[in-house]
Amino acid sequence: MSPVIPMGPFHPALEEPYKINVDCDGELVTGADIKVGFNFRAIEWLAERKNYTQDIALFERVCGICSNVHTLSLSRAIEVLAGIEVPERAQFIRVIVAEAERLHSHLLWAGIACELIGFQTLFMSCWSLREQVMDLLEAISGNRVNYAINRPGGVNRDILDPAAVLRTVKAIEDATVKTLIPVLTSDPTVRARCKGVGVLTREQAIAYGAVGPTARASGLPQDIRIAAPYETYGRLEFSAPTADDGDVFARVVVRALEIVESCKIIEQCLELMPSGPYKGDDFPAVPAGAACSRIEGPRGEVFYYLESDGSDTPVRVRVRTPTFANMPTAGLMVLGQNFADVPLIQASLDPCYSCTDR
Amino acid sequence: MNADAIAERLGAPHKPERRIDGDWLAVPGLDIRAMVELMSGAESRFVTMTAIPEHGGFRLIYHWDVDDVLLNVSTHIEGVLVPSIADILPAADWVERELRDYYALEFAGRDETPALMLMDGDEPGLFSRTAAMGRDADPADTGWSDVSVSGTEEDR
Repeated sequence: MSPVIPMGPFHPALEEPYKINVDCDGELVTGADIKVGFNFRAIEWLAERKNYTQDIALFERVCGICSNVHTLSLSRAIEVLAGIEVPERAQFIRVIVAEAERLHSHLLWAGIACELIGFQTLFMSCWSLREQVMDLLEAISGNRVNYAINRPGGVNRDILDPAAVLRTVKAIEDATVKTLIPVLTSDPTVRARCKGVGVLTREQAIAYGAVGPTARASGLPQDIRIAAPYETYGRLEFSAPTADDGDVFARVVVRALEIVESCKIIEQCLELMPSGPYKGDDFPAVPAGAACSRIEGPRGEVFYYLESDGSDTPVRVRVRTPTFANMPTAGLMVLGQNFADVPLIQASLDPCYSCTDR
Repeated sequence: MNADAIAERLGAPHKPERRIDGDWLAVPGLDIRAMVELMSGAESRFVTMTAIPEHGGFRLIYHWDVDDVLLNVSTHIEGVLVPSIADILPAADWVERELRDYYALEFAGRDETPALMLMDGDEPGLFSRTAAMGRDADPADTGWSDVSVSGTEEDR
């Protein structure tokens, strides 16, 4: 009889709870059952009992890493329903904050991945870079985690010192291009731990509806910023890096290259951003109806469905987070792999259980 | 295959409504499994599924990405029995389990629909059970007595 090894809900790889029961034949994994829900807060349920202003604050707390994507998604759904135009400067600020959030999220993940493979030096380097992004987000919004930058119709704060933003972003881009990417792609330790490990094929990624860097590392060129541009993304030049191997290494490379693309996006925004209003008007009553919004978060497509009956409280807010779509693929990735690689493989999804559980 | 062709193949009475946030298509009496077979062949991507309690049943919306455009296909079901699509589309597995947790929807064709957000053994339908409590509902006292900070009736 094969041993079943329970991992979690308190996990050796991540500071978030989830459980994976791993079936093993010797050292090889023959099956895996994933259990989530340990962070379930019924946020969709709560949203139906709070007004729109309260809901913005509520959804900021879906996730502690990508909080911005949730307020942006909800704000955009409200704007569609209420027919609100967002000032151009506010759209640029939204993109800058969204890309800064992607930078800090990817650098956080890269550091964790390096720690998991025993590469402590690069772990510290990644988190040192990330700290600069956190400082940048704090300088823009006043907050390091929940930025409270988005509001229906605009943003709550202006960017007062674009030159400082540019300096930080240039420094991160420089370090990523000259140090992070060369080391991540050529170091024998990284390659030995990541190459050919935890493969998700293109066909599996399609069947399971994988999104974001996970899908792109399996050869699917999907990115909502390019496919269905929102805010000012349609005016910016950038690419969505892809890889074909679908292994942990491919996911490492895709995210590392995305760091550079995010830097390019912010640099363009700072150059193109016009002066003008950024807050927009007070948003009017949300009329009855339904609207969807999709944005590309650090982990992939974030989907919101909003339904209103014309009152100050939504009838329904449905949220599909990227990890919700990606996490079931971990059960495929670990099959036939060494048990010791399970923490790294599941971490290669950059999972967020706070988002998943809501 | 574009949204118009999909609407025709699904027997929709009207063409999809084109909006800034995607295409919207209502199909009364939708053959849900036939839709999934059709969409799978159309190289679309399943995004998720939304359930909204309505007229004693549910309005179900299946959200798809078709050539980078969001297509929202809605239909109404009486009661709580819905054909499962997870055998055709693995991406729907967790979504169905989650909707069972929230609304006690039963997905026909599945061997089992384990809890996803709730714990094993919890009564499904958390949202439906608490709907009558309206805005006065206490999030910490939802009938999930094992974890309620208010404790059980006996504790009080």
